[in-house]
Amino acid sequence: MNRHLLHFFDIWDVLSSEVRRVFKDSTVLLIFFFAPLLYPIIFCFMYKNENVRNLPVVVVDEARCDESKRFIHKMDATPEISVDFRCLNLDEAERLMQTGDAHAIFYFPKDFSQRIATKRTAHIGVFCDMSSFYYYKAALLGSNAVLIDEMHTIELLRYAADGVTGIEAEDQMQPIAYEEITAFNPTGGYGSFFLPVLLVLVLHQTLFLGICLLCGEAYENKRSLLLIPARLRNHSTYRVTLGRALCYLLIYIPIAILDLWFIPRWFHLPQLGNLYTILIFMLPFFLSVIFFSLTVGNFFVRQKITPMLCFVFFSVLLFFLTGMVWPQSNMPRFWLAFSYLFPSTPGVQGFVRISSMGANLAEVRSEYLALWIQAAAYFGTSTLSMKLIRKFKLFNAQ
Amino acid sequence: MLNVIHREIRHIWSEPRYLVILTLGIVLSFVLFATMTSEGQPKRLPVGVVDLDGSYLSRRICHELDATPGVKVYRVYENHTDARRDMQRGNIFAFYEIPKGTYNEVLQFKSPRFVLYNNSAYLLAGTLCYKQLATMGMLATGAVQREVLRKKGVGEDEIMGLIQPVTFETHNISNPWINYGIYLMTTLIPAIIAFIALMHTGYAIASERRRKTLRQWLDTAGGNGLIALLGKLLPYTFWYAMLALIANLIMFGFMDFPMEGSWLLMMLSTILLIFAAQCVAALIACCIPDAPLTMSVCALYSAMSFSLSGFSFPIDSMPEFFHSFSWLYPIRHYFLNYRTIAIYGAGFDQCWPQFCALLAFAAMLLGATLMIQWHYRLELRHDTEGKEVAA
Repeated sequence: MNRHLLHFFDIWDVLSSEVRRVFKDSTVLLIFFFAPLLYPIIFCFMYKNENVRNLPVVVVDEARCDESKRFIHKMDATPEISVDFRCLNLDEAERLMQTGDAHAIFYFPKDFSQRIATKRTAHIGVFCDMSSFYYYKAALLGSNAVLIDEMHTIELLRYAADGVTGIEAEDQMQPIAYEEITAFNPTGGYGSFFLPVLLVLVLHQTLFLGICLLCGEAYENKRSLLLIPARLRNHSTYRVTLGRALCYLLIYIPIAILDLWFIPRWFHLPQLGNLYTILIFMLPFFLSVIFFSLTVGNFFVRQKITPMLCFVFFSVLLFFLTGMVWPQSNMPRFWLAFSYLFPSTPGVQGFVRISSMGANLAEVRSEYLALWIQAAAYFGTSTLSMKLIRKFKLFNAQ
Repeated sequence: MLNVIHREIRHIWSEPRYLVILTLGIVLSFVLFATMTSEGQPKRLPVGVVDLDGSYLSRRICHELDATPGVKVYRVYENHTDARRDMQRGNIFAFYEIPKGTYNEVLQFKSPRFVLYNNSAYLLAGTLCYKQLATMGMLATGAVQREVLRKKGVGEDEIMGLIQPVTFETHNISNPWINYGIYLMTTLIPAIIAFIALMHTGYAIASERRRKTLRQWLDTAGGNGLIALLGKLLPYTFWYAMLALIANLIMFGFMDFPMEGSWLLMMLSTILLIFAAQCVAALIACCIPDAPLTMSVCALYSAMSFSLSGFSFPIDSMPEFFHSFSWLYPIRHYFLNYRTIAIYGAGFDQCWPQFCALLAFAAMLLGATLMIQWHYRLELRHDTEGKEVAA
């Protein structure tokens, strides 16, 4: 009993000295407290429009008939498209695309009205700007809605000409009706998709960077050994690792509540989960991030400023490895396995499912398990790394 | 200037670790994106069907759904809850719900109602599944309509006109396959290289301060700040521009990504992109005297670069403030250049504003020069004062 209490005090000692180190270092403070607040807010503002509205398009109307004019008029009325330009020929329209003034061309050929009159299929040419998928999506969404509506109108007329009218015509036109429900991100917006991923990644990356900086600083100033209190130097190092981890965990719990609960709430992101589930899920996430960072920091970081060199491409890689963009079911096996080396993969997958999709812990069981396994494995490696540092230093001292 | 360049190369040579790691990082990202998106569009995405009808028609729909290349039927469910659970587990991205009595209603010319659920929390996968399932729905409707019309004795030509009076002929300029790799890599890879160049340049300048060799560095340049900075930047410009050019060569050459315009302009804008990114780093590093803080500011700045290039979500649809803010990012100009040159094949007459903008980043170098000269003079004065006191 007494011995256990002593262990507890050891951990407390390490924790308090680590807290002092964190608050003495302005760069670490910037990364721990400023970045997790700044980024979510900036990005939430950036993507608050969610979708492209009033995409400027150009129309080339060679048909100049009732049907084409009605079509253009209806397109202009959709929220997605705004018919800003009318050109006489395709060359002119193409120039507008090149300069970036318009992002899609709708071309009504000369025989458009003729084909409709003779009950054949009429064609409309669409040229889309593929430089961003959102241009393509807006152009397609807006014009498709009009297309379906127009088809309906024309079909009704044709059936009427054949002597079929009323409900009978409606039923014949649409023998199977279908209804679409877009779940978990009702507008299909970019913000609601991207921001939950970003929130977790920001926490992951700031924690990683901050811890690596602290490790680098200790190494640079030849103080790695000082992290271990004098009376513990000949004992096992797990208390040191635990004490440091506890310090970071305590700092990050309030930040996590703010970022993962209040920010989605304030910016109206999809939020179906509850706070307790999120916190219980995020506990192993933070533990594994901390131990992962301690491992990397102790083994590889020799200078305070090096972790930031790799920071940018590391963040981008992690983002694409989470499987939120390119789905996990289609990722090559090797990269899928590789992605599970990082806590961000199960962390993001689990958080998005809980928060955006209202899953409970049972439904994210595999991610939850993966995080605990990672936490345990990285706890082992980080303890080992402390041990090696001690060995190395003591050896050098002799 | 040659002396400064020589000195910088010696520095890199004595500590090649970072250059090697960063280059490996670039290669790793390239390989990752190229292999991950090699199918172009994710194919055979898992979807589900909730078959409450269990009839000939619903089975056929499952079967035909499975036969389309875009999706595969992961499971056929007996109730809605199971399907919803599997969606939350991430096993399926969309599902169809076929209500009870569908087949009977079709036979009676009543229109039954299918429900299509798709998960947009996974944007790409959700959208693609939706597209496939919606097309499937249209085809099923068309097939039933055709059967009915045939039985009524309507001619085959007329049937098509009746079912589909108007259609779109879609031409997706420069990316007709809607290949995700093309869309992703053409901007992302140069962006990654540019910002690694930015961080590395920032690191190189910051480490002069750390080692307290600022004076020695400027002495080598004969006290001229601009020459000192240029000499510092150029070895990195050379290395990273070379990597970016090789990457572009692989993408537009070997991987056959569409390239309509002139190679020369594209290469020029790649080199300018790297240089502009370095100029930003030089300004940040010269203005902030503390090395770790320099690196954090560089990181804070570049973390937003991917979003503000506008290739994922268009800048025009962001709030007003970001329209002008994005001009502070070289990658934004590069992306616009890529768009005009590679996609539309336009010449210099269309893209000169972007080239000017990229060149304008060089002005940051002047600001950096002023700052570094000032620090240099401070140190010199400090030194002479020190000597006087000693005398």
